[in-house]
Amino acid sequence: MASLPKRIIKETERLVSDPVPGITAQPHEDNLRYFQVTIEGPQQSPYESGVFELELFLPDDYPMEAPKVRFLTKIYHPNIDRLGRICLDVLKTNWSPALQIRTVLLSIQALLASPNPNDPLANDVAEDWIKNEEAAIEKAREWTRLYAKPK
Amino acid sequence: MKIEAKKIHCVFAWSWDIPGDCQDGTQGPSEEDVCGICRVSYNGTCPNCKFPGDDCPLVIGDCNHNFHVHCIQQWLDTPTAKGLCPMCRQLFSLKRGVSINEAQVEKFAHLLMKSRPTALTTDEEDIMMDQEFLVR
Repeated sequence: MASLPKRIIKETERLVSDPVPGITAQPHEDNLRYFQVTIEGPQQSPYESGVFELELFLPDDYPMEAPKVRFLTKIYHPNIDRLGRICLDVLKTNWSPALQIRTVLLSIQALLASPNPNDPLANDVAEDWIKNEEAAIEKAREWTRLYAKPK
Repeated sequence: MKIEAKKIHCVFAWSWDIPGDCQDGTQGPSEEDVCGICRVSYNGTCPNCKFPGDDCPLVIGDCNHNFHVHCIQQWLDTPTAKGLCPMCRQLFSLKRGVSINEAQVEKFAHLLMKSRPTALTTDEEDIMMDQEFLVR
């Protein structure tokens, strides 16, 4: 494998030395482009009592191409599907090489705080969310209790 | 006392000539100023080059965002870029009247054209429409 670009080394060092509050990202021993990530549910969101696990992979073309990020913990959210795939503009069409691992993870945390059922990935969840928001939020709380690690 | 110089070591320092309003400081780029894409100093190289300087030049955008030529070129070549500056998402073009940009002008004009194929086709359609109208 080609040597790791300086930028990735710098980003990894900073993630460890100056971590984002509520977010951890640890590179895998055998593959420094693969990170194990945890994100705490934002306060005042239905996810607030839980810690969610994700995986993040930096493709060969990073930073010309966005990191690949996926939820490993089951989560009830209109923009995250049952495979953990995330519908977020900065991971797709609005990616920019000026963004970094930390900014991407912050965007995902912000997505937890403000679900957007009008741009859904998990259609059934989005429908529930639009039809009966209160019930959907309650279900998101329940799933957090069931599947996420307690804070 | 008589001093005899036996040997002279000349040491040179260089840095890119970035006009004052394109950076925060007033005296040349500092080590803090890094390419917004690879995060290496302006005076360093992009990840693929070994030697800084003319082989791996710097360009200054109209939006005052600076990048190693190779970094911004590689970005503008991707479909995701849509011709936009990674920092401010304005259409990326070279700042005029900046000496270090001069050698790159043609290359970037070409890249800008490539980033707007959709705009071009609409123009062509418009022209064809106009011609149809003329025929009628």
